Amino acid sequence: MKKTKNTSRWICGLVAATGAAGLLPTAATAEVSDADFNALKAMVQQLGEQVQSLRQTNALVEQTHLQDLQELQALQSKLAETQQTATDANQKATAAAQAEAQPVPRAPLDEATVNRNFQILGDAEFQYVNADHQNGAFALADFAPIFLYRGGDNILFEAGFDTTIANNASGGGYSTTFNLSFAQLDYVMSDYLTLCAGELLLPLGTYSERGAGWLNKFPDDPLAVDALIPGSGVGAELRGAMPLGDSGKLLNYAVYGVNGPSSADGTGNAGALDLGGNVGVTSGGTSANLHGNPSGGGRLAVFLPFKPRYDLELGVSGMFGDWDNAGNHLWTAGVVDAALHLGPNFEAKGEYILTRYGSDDLGIHQQQGWFVQAGYKLAGLDLDLPLLNNLEVVGRYDKVAFAYDPVNNVFDFNTQRYTVGYIYYFTSALLFEGDYEFTHSNDPSQTDTQLILQISYGF
Amino acid sequence: MNPFLKIDVRRPAGFALLAATLLCGGLTTSLCSAGPDTNAAPAAASSPAASPATRHQLTGAELYSIHCNRCHPERYPTERTAAQWKTIMLHMQVRANIPGQQARLILQYLQENSGR
Repeated sequence: MKKTKNTSRWICGLVAATGAAGLLPTAATAEVSDADFNALKAMVQQLGEQVQSLRQTNALVEQTHLQDLQELQALQSKLAETQQTATDANQKATAAAQAEAQPVPRAPLDEATVNRNFQILGDAEFQYVNADHQNGAFALADFAPIFLYRGGDNILFEAGFDTTIANNASGGGYSTTFNLSFAQLDYVMSDYLTLCAGELLLPLGTYSERGAGWLNKFPDDPLAVDALIPGSGVGAELRGAMPLGDSGKLLNYAVYGVNGPSSADGTGNAGALDLGGNVGVTSGGTSANLHGNPSGGGRLAVFLPFKPRYDLELGVSGMFGDWDNAGNHLWTAGVVDAALHLGPNFEAKGEYILTRYGSDDLGIHQQQGWFVQAGYKLAGLDLDLPLLNNLEVVGRYDKVAFAYDPVNNVFDFNTQRYTVGYIYYFTSALLFEGDYEFTHSNDPSQTDTQLILQISYGF
Repeated sequence: MNPFLKIDVRRPAGFALLAATLLCGGLTTSLCSAGPDTNAAPAAASSPAASPATRHQLTGAELYSIHCNRCHPERYPTERTAAQWKTIMLHMQVRANIPGQQARLILQYLQENSGR
């Protein structure tokens, strides 16, 4: 009760105070004229319009700003692309410059398929000779290049030359002799047959084809080969080989027709025999085989390898044909050849040669000769000595019987020769050969003994 | 009598004895040697120990060992380029009477090992 009364009193007092405040005039109250009100109203309106305008302008500005931002972003994006493009271009330019400095790698040439190829092979020999009753001398024995030109898979042209120099017999100076030893076109018709045409190395025995300077274990030729048979002839040949089974055995064959031997003076006298001069063109400019008839020949051989470097080859060959210009006399030759290899260190070979020809003055005459040679490489002794391992000792016996004596016009020259020597192999193609020859002969042109040293290089 | 030799090689019998000694020595040493070829070319590493008769077909390396030192010291594959070997093998096919198929195998061996 007491509390309620207090509250009522507060409320009443508050109401009264409020009323009194409302009824009392304030010191700040003043009257506003219509003009001022209208002016104020106009000002407010104007301000409102300005505010509205500002709002519109602001919106426009914001919109423009937004567009600017978008354009700016687009420009930034383009700039980035341009920079990347420039960077790429710069890198490409740098790469191109480097590529120009380094040549563009060419596709490798497949050498195995090259079908036009020119090669020079051959050999050269330089000698020192000291013969009995003569002064020793150095000599360029032979420079013998071989040109090979391959015109395809099965066409080859090959030509060999011999170049030698010799003192002039009179007048001083020296002369250079340049001989064509062979020149032939080879056409491989099949795996088993090849056609050869030209100046051919004749397969009469094997020495003519396999006796080139660095191939020969001696510095000179066997007596009978030089004296009794032609080494070459102009004509055509069919040759080849056929396997006998799968073990490497071969049957070799060759048949040929050439101009053949001829007469040096046109007569049929025995001393006029010219083994290799009938090359088909005469000094008078006519092209003719001097006796008009071709000579023919061939070789048949078997090659029997037992295993690599162990082999035996046996061959028989022959040749016959007219030799005198009149065609009245026949010249014939037969050769038996053999070669044996027993391992990499031992080789033996030999040939037996028999010739027979008729003549106007001496009738029919027979000549014969042979050679047998052997070589043994001391590396086979397995002594492990440096010089010895590169050394090969060689020996040869050769003979020619009933050679022609031009002075007495008889066939009574007999010569036999014993040769001992060595080969020192600087490399497989650079050889230092030396041999000492003991000759027994009734031919005065032969020397009793001679020493020959030779450096031979096969290239 | 040659002062440097006790055997008088001017006489046929003397030289024949020397030649026979050389021949027999070489033959004996060769026939009795049972080891591998000491002078075998490095490229002929696949030379067979057995006889070729036991093989069906000889390889290029084996044919190279059989043919390529019969007449001259062997030339090594690295001496020439493949194109040069092609020319040289054509020359040797004619000169040495090698059948075409064997020549091609030898050529393949030479070209594969020429390294050029």
